[in-house]
Amino acid sequence: LCRGGLAERLCRLQNRERSAISFWRHQCVSDNTILSDKSGVLIVKILEIFEECTIQVAICQQLEQSPVALSPEDAVINAEEPILKVLFTRETAAHLKSRPQDVIHIYPPWQKLLLQNADVPVIMNTYFSQKVLLSEHSEAREKTYGLTKMLIRKNIISLAQTFRLDDLDDNLHQESTDNQVPCAPQTNNNGDSKRHPLAQSAVNDSLLEMVESQGAVGWREVQVRVIIQRVYCLPAKEGYRSHTQGNKPLCATAVANSDPPNVRLCLLVQDAYGMFSEVQLQSLSSTDDIEQYCRRWEGKSCCLAGMKILQRTTRGRALGLFSLIDSLWPPVVPVKVPGQSQDSEMMTTNLPPPSFCYILTVQSGEIHVEVDEEEQISNLYQPPAVHGLKEILQIGGCNKRCSFWAQVFYRRLQTKPSVPTDQREMLLFVTDSSLQNVVHGIPKVVAVSITASCVLSVEIIEALSAGSRFVFFKDALWGNGRIICVERTVLLLQKPLLCSAAGADLSELTGPVRLDELDSTTQANSVCALRGTVVGVNESTAFSWPTCNRCGNGKLELCPQDRELLYCNQCSEVVTTPVLKMQLEVFLSCPSRSQSTVKVKVWHEMTLFVLLTMLLFLQTYEVQSVLGREVGLLNCYVHSITSHPNCVVLEEIVLL
Amino acid sequence: STLPAVAEELLREIKKAFQETSQVPDDLLLGLKFIFGPSAVPALDLVDQRSVTRVRSPSGMTLYQVLGSSGKLYTCYSSCHFCTCPAFGFSVLQKSESLLCKHILAVYLSQAMGACQELAVSEEQLTNILLAEEEDEG
Repeated sequence: LCRGGLAERLCRLQNRERSAISFWRHQCVSDNTILSDKSGVLIVKILEIFEECTIQVAICQQLEQSPVALSPEDAVINAEEPILKVLFTRETAAHLKSRPQDVIHIYPPWQKLLLQNADVPVIMNTYFSQKVLLSEHSEAREKTYGLTKMLIRKNIISLAQTFRLDDLDDNLHQESTDNQVPCAPQTNNNGDSKRHPLAQSAVNDSLLEMVESQGAVGWREVQVRVIIQRVYCLPAKEGYRSHTQGNKPLCATAVANSDPPNVRLCLLVQDAYGMFSEVQLQSLSSTDDIEQYCRRWEGKSCCLAGMKILQRTTRGRALGLFSLIDSLWPPVVPVKVPGQSQDSEMMTTNLPPPSFCYILTVQSGEIHVEVDEEEQISNLYQPPAVHGLKEILQIGGCNKRCSFWAQVFYRRLQTKPSVPTDQREMLLFVTDSSLQNVVHGIPKVVAVSITASCVLSVEIIEALSAGSRFVFFKDALWGNGRIICVERTVLLLQKPLLCSAAGADLSELTGPVRLDELDSTTQANSVCALRGTVVGVNESTAFSWPTCNRCGNGKLELCPQDRELLYCNQCSEVVTTPVLKMQLEVFLSCPSRSQSTVKVKVWHEMTLFVLLTMLLFLQTYEVQSVLGREVGLLNCYVHSITSHPNCVVLEEIVLL
Repeated sequence: STLPAVAEELLREIKKAFQETSQVPDDLLLGLKFIFGPSAVPALDLVDQRSVTRVRSPSGMTLYQVLGSSGKLYTCYSSCHFCTCPAFGFSVLQKSESLLCKHILAVYLSQAMGACQELAVSEEQLTNILLAEEEDEG
């Protein structure tokens, strides 16, 4: 629950209320007489009861004072007495077991609600209610009633009865689609009324015209209307720091970390002529916003003004950028032909893919990029086409951008620990139901390489270290049988609202991830499952070492003050109860790859090897007792495979 | 029937209180709990997290998409009480135990407190969202 949010507040209130209710009930039970405190007590006589959902509705007559002297049969319904509708929760109703003619005392705090079109007030929050038994006669009757069940009418509520929160009948609440007034397709009316002062000048729709007519110096008056095809982050190069605003950031959070901004928000935009341009916006202080920017901006149109040309790049020099542009070509709607007059209706789709692209950046100072967030998604927008991994593995060609939704079940960091986390390269092992559900012929899992140029948000990094989860990979690069995430690839934790599923199976996996078994086709830097028999133990590599029980740091030091104690310099504290980790290499004979020597490094935590390591710890192990043991099915990471000698070196892993 | 009118009035009071004071008083929160039971806290949590998006097409057709706690996106209709979540099918349709599921309640609360995110789409895109729901269930 959000801290300080409404949900948290209600939780607290509800807990308090619950304690008050049970305390009150307890008091009622232990003290059979009517409670003396009469202030605020509502006294009602039930006339009729029915049920709606789990709420019991009692039509009641409000009594002025407790009719202790009268017996219920004597009380005549006086038309002058006010009528109330009292609501009871299912639990209170079960406690009261009310019937018509019963008199109920409702103690505060109860609430009265006056409805708009009804005369009868409604009483709610009636937890502190007590039935009053007026005479011994009724007590006996009560007991017999308790044995017979009373049938209560239940009203079924129609789903068509929606709630109107506004006094005016605006078109947000339509009770039936028949009432819909057909509207002319809306143009930019809403946008115009709240447009920025920049709109005073003419709006162009050609990027090329803007670039060619104004030169490379920079200009301020001309605006170009484009649509945003993609939003992503690029690692900033030194010397290109800009101090611009762009649109206001989505959350006005203060920059907490002191890391210099090294990531820039970029847009890949396309104009009405089909021409692309990459616009580099402001540096992001934290990359958490990227998912929000993608959701709010992709597909929307925007006005660029006062752009500075950074570079005119070509296909040969910017393979990454053009692979993304190619994935958006040809355009899904006809585009205008340059050279024709603006009024002409000539549009064509047989244009060759672009061979050059301008990279623009914003000038320091005013706002230059205005995104029409309220506008509808443009028809020119091409959402990422999501495919199942099985389909992606079968794509021909090289350097194709692909998008998929897959479960990340294992992560392997590639570079040295001294490099900051957000620049580390890593290998993610992913799968989806299209791979897992196939019997044979294609691998069950795929390795996705994350290069340092692919910007990962803090959210993603935390999510990946927390546990196995589904991640949306947008515009990853496929080629040479590998999937890599490079610059312009975006990893998101949620599927975007608009993306064409293209027949991909986006359902969750039904069971644990299954890996391919080790065999002759297994390659290095992959994961596999193996089973076999222990044929040898590499005693020279067996060792154990203490680790910090708080942070897992394996490099503990001796405490300077007391050489008997261990010290963890990451936690800056003495480690009183270190966790002992042990490592052992065993040789297995695996039937699936019988020609190779299989060497597996196993760890203490691995439950399958607890026996082995226990023996080690006691230092009374005998290799003979371990030989011949069956092992399987272990999940392993393949370190290396050599052919001369025919050896496979693996390490047992734990999937996320 | 009484309960829908009561629920509507309660939500109107919440909207009024929020418009006047930018806050929702405790008694109205408890009122939500009284009427909607176990859906109240989860619905407020969805509002706290800004999980409700109003999807609108040029002709004025709207629907709501609510991002559930599991990460799944549920669609709620605006013209009648309907939600694609399993709890709706069970508690509301089958057992008539609740008026709404937590997602529909979150939609109303988000409307009352101006916490809806907005998404404008074309007619075709709105239809696709509706059809996608159909395919999932089919």
